[in-house]
Amino acid sequence: MKTLADLKKIREKAQEEMKLRGSNVRIKIVVGMGTSGIAMGAREVMKTFLEEIANRNLTDVIVTQTGEKGLSSMEPVVDLIEEGKAKVTYGNMTPEKVKKVVVEHIVNGRVVSDYVVATGE
Amino acid sequence: MQDISLHLLDIIENSVRAEARRIKIRVKANVQKNLLRVIVEDDGVGMDAYTVQQAQDPFYTSKLERIKKVGLGIPLFKQNAELSNGSFKMASEPGFGTVLTVDFELDHIDRMPLGNLKDTLLGVIIGHPEVDFYICLIYSERGKEQSFHLDTAAIKEELGDIPLTYPDVIEYIDQSLNEGIQNTNMEDV
Repeated sequence: MKTLADLKKIREKAQEEMKLRGSNVRIKIVVGMGTSGIAMGAREVMKTFLEEIANRNLTDVIVTQTGEKGLSSMEPVVDLIEEGKAKVTYGNMTPEKVKKVVVEHIVNGRVVSDYVVATGE
Repeated sequence: MQDISLHLLDIIENSVRAEARRIKIRVKANVQKNLLRVIVEDDGVGMDAYTVQQAQDPFYTSKLERIKKVGLGIPLFKQNAELSNGSFKMASEPGFGTVLTVDFELDHIDRMPLGNLKDTLLGVIIGHPEVDFYICLIYSERGKEQSFHLDTAAIKEELGDIPLTYPDVIEYIDQSLNEGIQNTNMEDV
């Protein structure tokens, strides 16, 4: 059974890491989770981001869910927001595409232009 | 939507958009009563009686987009409950929140499966760190009851300023949910 004591250990470990590396969030991932996104597989997209973050031990990335944004024909839609850079919106996402975006964009800093449907702000 | 867990995700997203800060989710399977019940209770902005009616109409949407003319989430969930001889009830009060109670006949041939409850719950918990989730799963069969409770407020309190997206935290919540879902036999309902 998972207990709150396990969390205490995690917190201590994370705090040690933060002392060394700082607690900056480098990239924010926003997964569109409106009705049409869900119907098109947005939950699996969200799950794959969470799996990749856990497996690759990415500690400077956060993921959130949001409602529809008027790109229903391109669902599932994902925004990647990096400080000081234009927002990148990826469309028609699948778990496979998520894995590629994690490696290329989040880890190596190269936008995967084939999947981009909008940029801005 | 192929299963109940996807409808549940859609409904929870509605609660989040209604500015809920605390969402209670209960899933109860009762074999003797032949009942599968899903309850989502939020403390969001709530709706007046007219809006509650409107929300069940497929051509109504609360979203203010230019293009969007339909809101199918609630009508489809309602239809799927009614197809399995169940019911769909929505109670709400402006300023207090909304309670949704959806019943399905457990062994009805047209009842959609519960589906992947874990993926739905993991996504909403981590994807909405500003919202506290209280989750309760209960499975009863022949007088025996197995239950699972998870309150994310307690988890966040323990974590302090460590984000829920911290890799070990994702694994912790994932495993907690998995254990709870297995212990309450909810993986193949």
